[in-house]
Amino acid sequence: MKRPQVEEPEIPTASMADIAFLLIVFFMLTTVFSANKGMEHLLPPKEDIPDEQIDNEEAIYIQIYPSGQFVMDQKPYSIDDVETVHEYVFGKVQQNAKKPIILHTNREAKYGDMVAVFNQLKRVGKELETELAITIPSKEEAERYARFGVQ
Amino acid sequence: MKITKTRELPANIPTASMADIAFLLIVFFMISTVFQVDKTSLALPRSSEVTRTEVLKGSAFVVIQKSGVLKASDGVEDSKLVNLEDIGVLAASWMNKNPNQPVVIKADAEADYGKIDDVLEHLRNARVTNLKFLTEQEK
Repeated sequence: MKRPQVEEPEIPTASMADIAFLLIVFFMLTTVFSANKGMEHLLPPKEDIPDEQIDNEEAIYIQIYPSGQFVMDQKPYSIDDVETVHEYVFGKVQQNAKKPIILHTNREAKYGDMVAVFNQLKRVGKELETELAITIPSKEEAERYARFGVQ
Repeated sequence: MKITKTRELPANIPTASMADIAFLLIVFFMISTVFQVDKTSLALPRSSEVTRTEVLKGSAFVVIQKSGVLKASDGVEDSKLVNLEDIGVLAASWMNKNPNQPVVIKADAEADYGKIDDVLEHLRNARVTNLKFLTEQEK
Protein backbone atom coordinates (compact mmCIF):
# COMPACT_ATOMS: atom_id res chain seq x y z
CA MET A 1 0.00 0.00 0.00
CA LYS A 2 1.34 3.36 -1.02
CA ARG A 3 1.46 5.97 1.70
CA PRO A 4 -0.26 9.19 0.63
CA GLN A 5 2.25 11.98 0.32
CA VAL A 6 1.63 14.58 3.01
CA GLU A 7 2.26 18.08 1.87
CA GLU A 8 4.01 20.25 4.37
CA PRO A 9 1.85 23.27 5.15
CA GLU A 10 3.77 26.48 4.98
CA ILE A 11 3.26 30.19 4.83
CA PRO A 12 5.06 31.87 1.98
CA THR A 13 7.50 34.35 3.40
CA ALA A 14 8.88 35.68 0.15
CA SER A 15 6.88 38.90 0.31
CA MET A 16 7.68 39.47 3.97
CA ALA A 17 10.85 41.30 3.10
CA ASP A 18 9.02 43.58 0.68
CA ILE A 19 6.51 44.47 3.32
CA ALA A 20 9.20 45.08 5.90
CA PHE A 21 11.11 47.35 3.55
CA LEU A 22 7.96 49.18 2.62
CA LEU A 23 7.31 49.84 6.28
CA ILE A 24 10.87 50.97 6.87
CA VAL A 25 10.72 53.38 3.95
CA PHE A 26 7.38 54.63 5.12
CA PHE A 27 8.71 55.20 8.64
CA MET A 28 11.73 57.01 7.35
CA LEU A 29 9.71 59.33 5.18
CA THR A 30 7.02 60.17 7.69
CA THR A 31 9.05 60.50 10.85
CA VAL A 32 9.48 64.15 11.60
CA PHE A 33 11.59 65.01 14.57
CA SER A 34 9.37 67.79 15.63
CA ALA A 35 9.37 69.42 18.99
CA ASN A 36 5.79 69.33 20.05
CA LYS A 37 6.27 70.06 23.69
CA GLY A 38 6.72 73.31 25.47
CA MET A 39 6.52 75.19 28.71
CA GLU A 40 3.15 76.50 29.67
CA HIS A 41 2.59 80.01 30.92
CA LEU A 42 -0.72 81.58 31.74
CA LEU A 43 -1.07 85.24 30.97
CA PRO A 44 -3.25 87.23 33.32
CA PRO A 45 -6.40 88.81 31.94
CA LYS A 46 -5.70 92.30 30.66
CA GLU A 47 -7.84 94.27 33.10
CA ASP A 48 -6.84 92.29 36.14
CA ILE A 49 -3.61 93.96 37.21
CA PRO A 50 -4.06 95.11 40.77
CA ASP A 51 -1.44 97.61 41.87
CA GLU A 52 -0.89 95.97 45.23
CA GLN A 53 0.47 92.95 43.43
CA ILE A 54 3.57 94.94 42.65
CA ASP A 55 5.27 94.81 45.97
CA ASN A 56 8.97 94.97 45.37
CA GLU A 57 10.16 93.53 48.64
CA GLU A 58 7.79 90.62 48.49
CA ALA A 59 8.52 89.45 44.99
CA ILE A 60 11.55 87.66 43.68
CA TYR A 61 12.78 89.95 40.96
CA ILE A 62 14.89 88.44 38.21
CA GLN A 63 16.25 90.61 35.48
CA ILE A 64 18.09 89.19 32.49
CA TYR A 65 20.69 91.29 30.71
CA PRO A 66 21.96 91.14 27.13
CA SER A 67 25.47 90.34 28.41
CA GLY A 68 24.31 86.86 29.42
CA GLN A 69 24.07 87.82 33.05
CA PHE A 70 21.07 88.02 35.27
CA VAL A 71 20.33 89.74 38.52
CA MET A 72 18.22 87.95 41.10
CA ASP A 73 17.22 90.04 44.10
CA GLN A 74 20.12 92.43 43.58
CA LYS A 75 22.77 89.74 43.20
CA PRO A 76 24.35 89.28 39.78
CA TYR A 77 24.95 85.83 38.32
CA SER A 78 26.14 84.49 35.01
CA ILE A 79 23.62 82.61 32.88
CA ASP A 80 25.88 79.55 33.17
CA ASP A 81 24.97 79.42 36.86
CA VAL A 82 21.28 79.33 36.05
CA GLU A 83 20.88 76.42 38.48
CA THR A 84 21.17 78.90 41.36
CA VAL A 85 17.72 80.20 40.38
CA HIS A 86 16.34 76.78 41.17
CA GLU A 87 17.96 76.62 44.62
CA TYR A 88 17.09 80.19 45.56
CA VAL A 89 13.49 80.11 44.37
CA PHE A 90 12.94 76.64 45.83
CA GLY A 91 13.89 77.89 49.30
CA LYS A 92 11.73 81.00 48.96
CA VAL A 93 8.68 79.20 47.63
CA GLN A 94 8.88 76.54 50.32
CA GLN A 95 8.41 79.30 52.89
CA ASN A 96 5.68 81.03 50.96
CA ALA A 97 3.96 79.18 48.14
CA LYS A 98 2.32 82.37 46.90
CA LYS A 99 5.62 84.21 46.49
CA PRO A 100 5.38 86.25 43.31
CA ILE A 101 8.25 85.93 40.86
CA ILE A 102 8.90 88.62 38.31
CA LEU A 103 10.90 87.58 35.28
CA HIS A 104 11.97 90.73 33.53
CA THR A 105 14.05 90.25 30.42
CA ASN A 106 15.79 93.13 28.69
CA ARG A 107 14.80 93.63 25.10
CA GLU A 108 18.31 92.99 23.80
CA ALA A 109 18.79 89.83 25.85
CA LYS A 110 18.64 86.44 24.19
CA TYR A 111 15.34 84.58 24.23
CA GLY A 112 17.29 81.41 25.02
CA ASP A 113 18.53 82.92 28.30
CA MET A 114 15.01 83.86 29.28
CA VAL A 115 13.82 80.32 28.59
CA ALA A 116 16.74 78.91 30.62
CA VAL A 117 15.68 80.91 33.69
CA PHE A 118 12.00 80.23 33.07
CA ASN A 119 12.82 76.54 32.88
CA GLN A 120 14.39 76.64 36.36
CA LEU A 121 11.29 78.34 37.74
CA LYS A 122 9.07 75.75 36.12
CA ARG A 123 11.18 72.98 37.64
CA VAL A 124 10.57 74.40 41.11
CA GLY A 125 6.84 74.48 40.41
CA LYS A 126 6.93 70.89 39.24
CA GLU A 127 8.92 69.67 42.23
CA LEU A 128 6.71 71.42 44.76
CA GLU A 129 3.64 70.55 42.72
CA THR A 130 2.34 74.08 42.79
CA GLU A 131 1.65 76.66 40.16
CA LEU A 132 4.17 79.43 40.82
CA ALA A 133 3.08 83.02 40.50
CA ILE A 134 5.43 83.85 37.65
CA THR A 135 4.94 87.19 35.99
CA ILE A 136 6.44 88.13 32.67
CA PRO A 137 5.89 91.87 32.86
CA SER A 138 4.58 93.78 29.89
CA LYS A 139 6.44 96.91 28.81
CA GLU A 140 4.06 99.04 30.83
CA GLU A 141 4.56 96.93 33.95
CA ALA A 142 8.31 96.84 33.48
CA GLU A 143 8.32 100.63 33.37
CA ARG A 144 6.31 100.73 36.53
CA TYR A 145 8.85 98.54 38.28
CA ALA A 146 11.61 100.84 37.08
CA ARG A 147 9.73 103.78 38.60
CA PHE A 148 9.55 101.95 41.89
CA GLY A 149 13.29 101.80 41.80
CA VAL A 150 13.73 98.14 41.04
CA GLN A 151 16.79 97.75 38.95
CA MET B 1 2.95 2.15 -21.26
CA LYS B 2 0.90 3.88 -18.69
CA ILE B 3 1.63 7.53 -18.17
CA THR B 4 0.21 9.00 -15.04
CA LYS B 5 -0.66 12.60 -15.50
CA THR B 6 1.13 14.67 -12.88
CA ARG B 7 -1.32 16.37 -10.67
CA GLU B 8 -0.92 20.11 -10.90
CA LEU B 9 -1.11 22.11 -7.72
CA PRO B 10 -2.82 25.44 -8.17
CA ALA B 11 -0.34 28.17 -7.36
CA ASN B 12 -1.77 30.89 -5.21
CA ILE B 13 -0.62 33.51 -2.75
CA PRO B 14 -2.51 33.43 0.49
CA THR B 15 -4.27 36.71 0.85
CA ALA B 16 -5.89 36.08 4.20
CA SER B 17 -3.40 38.23 6.10
CA MET B 18 -3.55 41.04 3.53
CA ALA B 19 -6.43 42.65 5.34
CA ASP B 20 -4.57 42.56 8.63
CA ILE B 21 -1.60 44.28 7.07
CA ALA B 22 -3.78 46.88 5.42
CA PHE B 23 -5.59 47.63 8.67
CA LEU B 24 -2.33 47.80 10.53
CA LEU B 25 -1.10 50.38 8.06
CA ILE B 26 -4.32 52.34 8.28
CA VAL B 27 -4.17 52.41 12.08
CA PHE B 28 -0.54 53.41 11.96
CA PHE B 29 -1.33 56.24 9.53
CA MET B 30 -4.16 57.47 11.67
CA ILE B 31 -2.09 57.53 14.83
CA SER B 32 1.10 58.91 13.43
CA THR B 33 -0.31 61.61 11.19
CA VAL B 34 0.26 64.96 12.81
CA PHE B 35 -0.94 67.97 10.95
CA GLN B 36 1.97 70.23 11.46
CA VAL B 37 0.95 73.78 10.83
CA ASP B 38 4.47 75.10 10.84
CA LYS B 39 7.54 73.61 9.28
CA THR B 40 10.00 76.42 9.90
CA SER B 41 13.24 74.99 11.18
CA LEU B 42 14.92 77.01 13.86
CA ALA B 43 17.11 76.44 16.91
CA LEU B 44 14.60 76.14 19.71
CA PRO B 45 15.66 76.92 23.26
CA ARG B 46 16.16 73.95 25.54
CA SER B 47 14.41 73.04 28.75
CA SER B 48 14.16 70.10 31.15
CA GLU B 49 11.84 67.28 30.29
CA VAL B 50 9.85 67.74 33.52
CA THR B 51 8.80 71.24 32.57
CA ARG B 52 7.63 70.35 29.09
CA THR B 53 4.02 69.57 28.36
CA GLU B 54 2.40 68.40 25.18
CA VAL B 55 1.21 71.09 22.77
CA LEU B 56 -2.56 70.91 22.52
CA LYS B 57 -4.10 69.95 19.21
CA GLY B 58 -5.31 72.97 17.28
CA SER B 59 -3.03 75.42 19.06
CA ALA B 60 -2.34 78.62 17.22
CA PHE B 61 1.31 79.25 16.39
CA VAL B 62 3.41 82.38 16.36
CA VAL B 63 6.84 81.75 14.89
CA ILE B 64 9.68 84.18 15.54
CA GLN B 65 12.82 83.62 13.56
CA LYS B 66 16.26 84.82 14.53
CA SER B 67 16.08 87.62 11.97
CA GLY B 68 12.79 88.76 13.44
CA VAL B 69 10.67 87.39 10.60
CA LEU B 70 7.25 86.48 11.95
CA LYS B 71 4.89 83.73 10.91
CA ALA B 72 1.50 82.88 12.31
CA SER B 73 -1.03 80.11 12.03
CA ASP B 74 -4.47 79.68 13.56
CA GLY B 75 -3.74 76.01 14.16
CA VAL B 76 -5.67 74.79 11.14
CA GLU B 77 -4.02 76.36 8.12
CA ASP B 78 -0.31 76.45 7.42
CA SER B 79 1.67 79.30 8.88
CA LYS B 80 2.02 82.43 6.80
CA LEU B 81 4.36 85.38 6.95
CA VAL B 82 2.88 88.25 8.91
CA ASN B 83 3.83 91.69 10.14
CA LEU B 84 4.07 92.46 13.81
CA GLU B 85 1.05 94.77 13.56
CA ASP B 86 -1.08 91.93 12.17
CA ILE B 87 -0.43 89.69 15.17
CA GLY B 88 -2.85 91.64 17.31
CA VAL B 89 -5.66 91.42 14.75
CA LEU B 90 -5.00 87.74 14.11
CA ALA B 91 -4.85 86.88 17.79
CA ALA B 92 -8.08 88.78 18.39
CA SER B 93 -9.80 86.74 15.69
CA TRP B 94 -8.51 83.48 17.21
CA MET B 95 -9.77 84.49 20.63
CA ASN B 96 -13.08 85.48 19.14
CA LYS B 97 -13.61 81.96 17.84
CA ASN B 98 -12.40 80.30 21.02
CA PRO B 99 -11.79 82.34 24.18
CA ASN B 100 -9.48 79.60 25.51
CA GLN B 101 -7.47 79.21 22.34
CA PRO B 102 -3.96 78.05 23.27
CA VAL B 103 -1.16 79.91 21.55
CA VAL B 104 2.31 78.49 21.04
CA ILE B 105 5.37 80.71 20.79
CA LYS B 106 7.93 79.06 18.55
CA ALA B 107 10.94 81.30 18.70
CA ASP B 108 14.63 80.94 17.93
CA ALA B 109 16.82 80.78 21.03
CA GLU B 110 19.15 83.35 19.47
CA ALA B 111 16.39 85.84 18.79
CA ASP B 112 16.37 89.07 20.79
CA TYR B 113 13.84 88.99 23.58
CA GLY B 114 12.48 92.32 22.38
CA LYS B 115 10.81 90.59 19.46
CA ILE B 116 9.14 88.09 21.75
CA ASP B 117 8.16 90.94 24.06
CA ASP B 118 6.45 92.74 21.16
CA VAL B 119 4.52 89.60 20.24
CA LEU B 120 3.53 88.98 23.87
CA GLU B 121 2.29 92.56 24.09
CA HIS B 122 -0.04 91.99 21.15
CA LEU B 123 -1.18 88.65 22.55
CA ARG B 124 -1.89 90.21 25.93
CA ASN B 125 -3.97 92.91 24.31
CA ALA B 126 -5.90 90.24 22.41
CA ARG B 127 -6.61 88.58 25.77
CA VAL B 128 -4.69 85.42 25.06
CA THR B 129 -4.29 83.54 28.32
CA ASN B 130 -3.04 80.07 27.49
CA LEU B 131 0.51 80.44 26.28
CA LYS B 132 3.20 77.91 25.57
CA PHE B 133 6.88 78.39 24.85
CA LEU B 134 7.95 75.65 22.48
CA THR B 135 11.21 74.07 23.59
CA GLU B 136 13.44 71.16 22.85
CA GLN B 137 14.61 68.67 25.42
CA GLU B 138 17.77 69.55 27.25
CA LYS B 139 20.80 67.50 26.30
